[in-house]
Amino acid sequence: MITVNGLRNFLWCVTAFGIVACASAPMPVEKLAVAKSAIDRAEQAQAAQFAQVELNTARNKYAAAQAAADKHDADIAARMADQAEVDAQLAESTARAKQQEQLVEQMDAGLRDLRNEAQRNSSGAGASAPQPQSQPQN
Amino acid sequence: MKRTHLLALAVATTALALASCESTPKNSALLTQARDTVAQAGNDPNVTRYAPTELDRARKLLTNAEGAAKEKGASNVTASHYAYLATQMARIAEQRAHEQVAMARIKQGETERQQILLSAREGEAERAKADAAQARNEVQNAQAQIAQAQSEAQRLAAQLEDVQASQTSRGTVLTLGDVLFDTGRAELKPGATRPIEQIAAFLNEHPERHIQVEGFTDSQGPDDYNLELSQKRADAVAMAIIQRGVDAQRVRALGYGEGFPKASNTDAGSRQLNRRVEIVVSNGDQAIPGRTTAGSP
Repeated sequence: MITVNGLRNFLWCVTAFGIVACASAPMPVEKLAVAKSAIDRAEQAQAAQFAQVELNTARNKYAAAQAAADKHDADIAARMADQAEVDAQLAESTARAKQQEQLVEQMDAGLRDLRNEAQRNSSGAGASAPQPQSQPQN
Repeated sequence: MKRTHLLALAVATTALALASCESTPKNSALLTQARDTVAQAGNDPNVTRYAPTELDRARKLLTNAEGAAKEKGASNVTASHYAYLATQMARIAEQRAHEQVAMARIKQGETERQQILLSAREGEAERAKADAAQARNEVQNAQAQIAQAQSEAQRLAAQLEDVQASQTSRGTVLTLGDVLFDTGRAELKPGATRPIEQIAAFLNEHPERHIQVEGFTDSQGPDDYNLELSQKRADAVAMAIIQRGVDAQRVRALGYGEGFPKASNTDAGSRQLNRRVEIVVSNGDQAIPGRTTAGSP
């Protein structure tokens, strides 16, 4: 009985090992594509301007992933592609955040100007308003 | 036979696992950085609010890294890989949060902008309202002045119970009938005291005003006599007013004789109307215009 169970377990182990080995064997084409599209999105978000370091890191990792794939090193290619993807995502989110923060600065400046103008208008009218307002009370 | 093989395999695997465990350090720079970065993002309320998905992913990646480190060592390629991914994902979470905070701020700023514009418009509206109120007040003041002038005669009449008052272009004219004097005389009768006191009191209350006392007779008797009599009677009334505290500068007396009759002089009733003293009270401090209408003897 032990023999039968052991044999079954052994076969399971072999099968499992085979699946694992087979899974890592093909090149991670999909991961490379995902990384590439992440880089494209980052570029569209103007990462070249607002997150240059992060975007360059992503591009370098993607290049490394491609080089590893060319050498049929699937593990390294997969890892580099994954890393290139998150690097690109970071580049994109950083670029978006910086652009929004730039908009906030512009808006704050605009609000300051608007407040000053409103104050000038109201105080300008306020200086002349008391004169006519006091007359009818006489 | 097979049993022996299996046993050997098991032992070998265990030994390998033990060996690898013993030689592994528990930390690496990448893993430490991943823990720090993920913890930092987790402590940021903006990240938990705006980027919970990314934070969750970062934590799972860190768990993967910890698992791989425990199993194969912190410097293991898989552990390092997941540590790197966890770090980057935590940074992504922070950037997403920054972006969302900025967007919320912009939305709020738009509201602020609207409020500033609104209050500016309200200020303008209030100023316009104040201007309108001022214009209204000016109109009301003008109307009040007109009404005041129009009610002058009534007010005088009310104050001077025994005197007939009417508003003319020359001022308010008070007419004292022929009750003041006996026929042919220029001395005031006791009955004249009351209206004269009222007029004097009124003038003392209104020091800006001045008066012209004008005497008239009917057509009976010679013109010269009538003229002189009317002047004397006007003087008597003026003197009585001055004696009651009114500055002589404010009082002028004129006799017109038979001039400017009120009625025809053909019967006793109309002649009585013509025998009179008129007191013209100035409008404020304005000069009293002379008589222009013809009707002299």
